[in-house]
Amino acid sequence: MENKTETGALRGASLRSEVRLKKKRRLADVNNRTFLLMTTPAVLVYAVFFLYPTLTNFRYAFYQWDGFLDAEFIGLNNFVRAVTNDDVLIKVLGNNIEFSLLVVIFQTSLALLFAVYLVKNTRASLALRTLYFFPTILSSVSVALIWQFLYSPNFGPINTFLRSVGLDFLALPWIGSETITLRALAFTQVWFHTGQMVVIYIAGLQQIPKELYEAAEVDGASRWQQFKSVTWPMALPTTAVVMAYTTIQSFRAFDLIFTMTSGGPNDSTSILATRIYLSAFNDLQFGYAATQSIFLVIFIVVLTGLQRRVFRAKDQ
Amino acid sequence: MKVSKSAKAFRLLIAGAFAASATVLPISNGFAAGEVRGAKCNVEGESTGTRVDSLVCKKNSAGRLVWTTIKLSSSNLKPVKAFKAPKGSIEFWHWRNEDRAYFDKIIADFEDLNPGVKITQTISNSADYQATALTKARSNPKAALFTTFRGSQFNQAAVAGFYTDLTNEQFTKRNVISSMMGSGQYEGKQLGIPYQSLFNDPIYNIKIFKDEGWKLPKTFNEWIGYCKTAKAAGYIPMAWMGAFPPQAGQIINSALMNTAANENALKKQVSDIDTGKTEITTKWFKDMAQKYADLRDAGCFPPNPKSVTEADGNALFATGKSPILPTGTFSMGGVRNLNPAMKGNMGVTGMNWTNDVNATYTGITNNPFIMGINKNAGKREQKIARAFLSYLLQGEVAEYYAKNSAQHVTVLGVEYDDVDLRNTQTIMSERLILAPRFIFLNKAVSDAAEAALIEIVGGESVDKALEDGAKKIKQILNK
Repeated sequence: MENKTETGALRGASLRSEVRLKKKRRLADVNNRTFLLMTTPAVLVYAVFFLYPTLTNFRYAFYQWDGFLDAEFIGLNNFVRAVTNDDVLIKVLGNNIEFSLLVVIFQTSLALLFAVYLVKNTRASLALRTLYFFPTILSSVSVALIWQFLYSPNFGPINTFLRSVGLDFLALPWIGSETITLRALAFTQVWFHTGQMVVIYIAGLQQIPKELYEAAEVDGASRWQQFKSVTWPMALPTTAVVMAYTTIQSFRAFDLIFTMTSGGPNDSTSILATRIYLSAFNDLQFGYAATQSIFLVIFIVVLTGLQRRVFRAKDQ
Repeated sequence: MKVSKSAKAFRLLIAGAFAASATVLPISNGFAAGEVRGAKCNVEGESTGTRVDSLVCKKNSAGRLVWTTIKLSSSNLKPVKAFKAPKGSIEFWHWRNEDRAYFDKIIADFEDLNPGVKITQTISNSADYQATALTKARSNPKAALFTTFRGSQFNQAAVAGFYTDLTNEQFTKRNVISSMMGSGQYEGKQLGIPYQSLFNDPIYNIKIFKDEGWKLPKTFNEWIGYCKTAKAAGYIPMAWMGAFPPQAGQIINSALMNTAANENALKKQVSDIDTGKTEITTKWFKDMAQKYADLRDAGCFPPNPKSVTEADGNALFATGKSPILPTGTFSMGGVRNLNPAMKGNMGVTGMNWTNDVNATYTGITNNPFIMGINKNAGKREQKIARAFLSYLLQGEVAEYYAKNSAQHVTVLGVEYDDVDLRNTQTIMSERLILAPRFIFLNKAVSDAAEAALIEIVGGESVDKALEDGAKKIKQILNK
């Protein structure tokens, strides 16, 4: 009898757990279905607009194609050409590094400097912050056209002013020289985006506890010592963000450079992005452009990897 | 009231004088214009238009310049009227944003004549158009009427079988100037209709030349002399746009035109560079490049020449700082927009880069803006495009376009009364060649060759610029 009761209780318990399990499974199924339903659109968008073009780009890297007639499979020829037989690509890589370094160094330093002076929420600070941020809201093509006019050798206000005050020797060919133009473009890029970085820095600096400055002041630290020992180390995570963002921005300066110089004169201002565009849409070498874009990806991965490593080491 | 005899006689005299002046003056005005068949004319090549009764200033058998009628079409029949279009919509693809308003008006008139038809202009800038338009238009069944640049783009579309054959269309035979149709032909077929008739390189400021008492240079040495004189007078001799390669490269047309004995030889030597058979360090190209250096050393180009953008170049010319704009008649509209006072003040001339006044060629012409019907468009859309094309090839429609865009056209039945169009017709008396720049079919190669010449103008030595350019071309061709 006892056995029977035990068996019945056991069966009841197993039945209950089975029901619970079934319920769980059903819930899991519903969850799975909901999960699938919710993620499918995003996955589809990702697949159609990112994955497919990326894979297609990889495929085209092995073809010779003018963008119109039939593509011809040429194996690794495009890669061999890029590595061994393209001086322009090497030059462009150099330009890219110089441009990025100039922009990252000057944009980050200026942004930090302005942020330190504008960190307090006074009326003057707020007004200046708005003023510095203003270029950021302009479209990059507008900025490029404005600066193209400013740099114009014959009608540009910069050279006109320099000549009017007798500084003719400083009236340089800002957008027509192989030595100056890349720097002039970097200056424009810095002018364009510094305001944005100031805002990021100010947000970071306002998180630094005031007590640290008070303690430093009690210890008799000068403003420079306060900056060196408090502001700079505490702003390091923000600096990492600013630098990463600035680096990516400098790689995406295509519209600015293309509108102002189209990579000229003599490829001296071409960066990888403009070179890829010109290879594809001007030279009609779509396969080779696809190969170069793979190099661009590798370049960005290596560079950001290096940056992260440097900041991780500093953090530690 | 009595009127005396003498008063009557006086009134009669006045009335007679008035009647005589009313009838005779218009006639004498007509003669004053001098545009009467057989009458003397002054500028060889000038024409009153492309109508059946239009006149051209030509030498007669006695060697005198007289107004003459000439046959411009390949047929003796009258131009064919525009076709009726079936209902539907198409897109008209081109790159001339500056013509948008004129085409809007033409399209509106066409739509009024063909209820139920809708034509939309799809316009992108010339660089984007050159690069992507064909690919986009090919897969677009609505892109039924499209235009191409002469040279590589037309060739690419022709090779790909993108065009509907227009050879046997009546408007091809009866509505256009047959001698201007060459750039729309491929393997003996008329695949596209070149709509514009341009004259390249250079435009000059008539007033400055007149005021300064300068004559238009006829040889290379005279051009060098002009540059020195103009520079000494405080001008920038040529508003050359080194920062904008597509326009900076225009003078290569003049530079190339007499580098070979004839057009076929020229085609061969350019094609050899295009395909990598020879390099730009070859003698004929080097001789030509040396002339760029000679012009540079004579002060022909602006200071900091590689910084001069298209806007700067046009402004230098429009403001009278530079008497020469080394581009072509297609720039006149833009110059007039910058300075309306330039209307009637622009002429076009040839730029002979040899010292032989009897050189084979003395001027450049071009027939771009080649209109074609997309073979991949729907059948109905093709019919609409064909009807619209036939409408664009009506004299009065083309005349409206010519007057407003300040471009000569290839269409018959047009009268040119625009002062700039009349002034620039004088180039017709030169020995013209179709712009040889477009013999290059590989755009990357032609860009690299032209970039080497731009470097020379910018101050680089001829040898170094050509060696660098040759290396670049080799790498482009992956050799």
